[in-house]
Amino acid sequence: MAAMKKTNPSFLNGVPELLVLRLLARREMYGYQLVEEIRTRTGEALTFGEGCIYPYLHYLEAEKQVSSRRMEVEGRNRNYYKLTTRGRKRLEALTTEWNRVTAGVSRLMEEQHA
Amino acid sequence: MPDFIEPLRRRLMELGCPIAQMRRLVREVADHREDLKQAAASAGLSGADAEARANASLGDPLALAEQLMTALRQSTWWGRHHVVTFGLLPLLVYPILWALFLLFQMALGFALGYGWNWEKLRVVVNNPVAFQHLTTVFQFMDYDAIALVALLFCWLARRAAVSLKWMVTACAVCSAIAVITWGRIEPHSFTLGFSMNGHLHMPWSRGALPLLIAGAAYVLQQRTMRRFQQTAL
Repeated sequence: MAAMKKTNPSFLNGVPELLVLRLLARREMYGYQLVEEIRTRTGEALTFGEGCIYPYLHYLEAEKQVSSRRMEVEGRNRNYYKLTTRGRKRLEALTTEWNRVTAGVSRLMEEQHA
Repeated sequence: MPDFIEPLRRRLMELGCPIAQMRRLVREVADHREDLKQAAASAGLSGADAEARANASLGDPLALAEQLMTALRQSTWWGRHHVVTFGLLPLLVYPILWALFLLFQMALGFALGYGWNWEKLRVVVNNPVAFQHLTTVFQFMDYDAIALVALLFCWLARRAAVSLKWMVTACAVCSAIAVITWGRIEPHSFTLGFSMNGHLHMPWSRGALPLLIAGAAYVLQQRTMRRFQQTAL
């Protein structure tokens, strides 16, 4: 893993990546499921544009962070995505960075309230 | 009920989406739409209403195609930095790649033709007729190297899913540099160089080659799209 940057513009752009990798770490999922899970599990605070998740998933696949396979479940054929070893490492790095940033923001907010 | 998938496919094609990517995107969006319809039907909507809601959730197919293409372009470094990749990079990379391709072909030709035997080559070089033949082969290799660099940029443009103008830009830059670069073999010497004059034996045809390749890539792309459109209908 490359050294983390002192500033975090890439981290803020990496939130969708963190969410997708986090959900895929739990189980294999298809695009619609991912969009729905992000919407419901973030209390509709975050939503992916319907359909726009696919180029993003293809990008993660090209980066070898996820792999996909066409699978028939209950009579429906869909592309299912799952996390790879590289994706798991990336998730760990993003989670560490997320915890570092949120801890920093919380500290600042608490100081302002004090 | 207006069709959603066909306008999406057509717009993706118009925007220059590579066929394999387009097939996959369209199939996945169609699956997604089917899931939205099922969810709406489970919520008690009729077939037509469920379809209308699914279409409304996905929005305008033309706008979705634009978003998909933007995301696709953003997913590669080449697509994100198309001005640098197709406008500036050929300036730096063309001379290096051209020289490398040329040297590689010469090494391959030497290995195949003379089995790395310098004595055999010396005999050919000292024979004017055989040397003329060698010069022709060298010229072919030179054109081949130019074509390979231009093809590399065309392939990169397709892979990055950028618009055709960027592919043409890269080929135009390659064309300009092809006019001012030269390679020359003479008995017992081989030189590569840059100059604005002094190599007037073949510069314009060298410059035209990348443009011809851009034209051929465009025609090929149009034909592939037409064929795909016919099979899709």
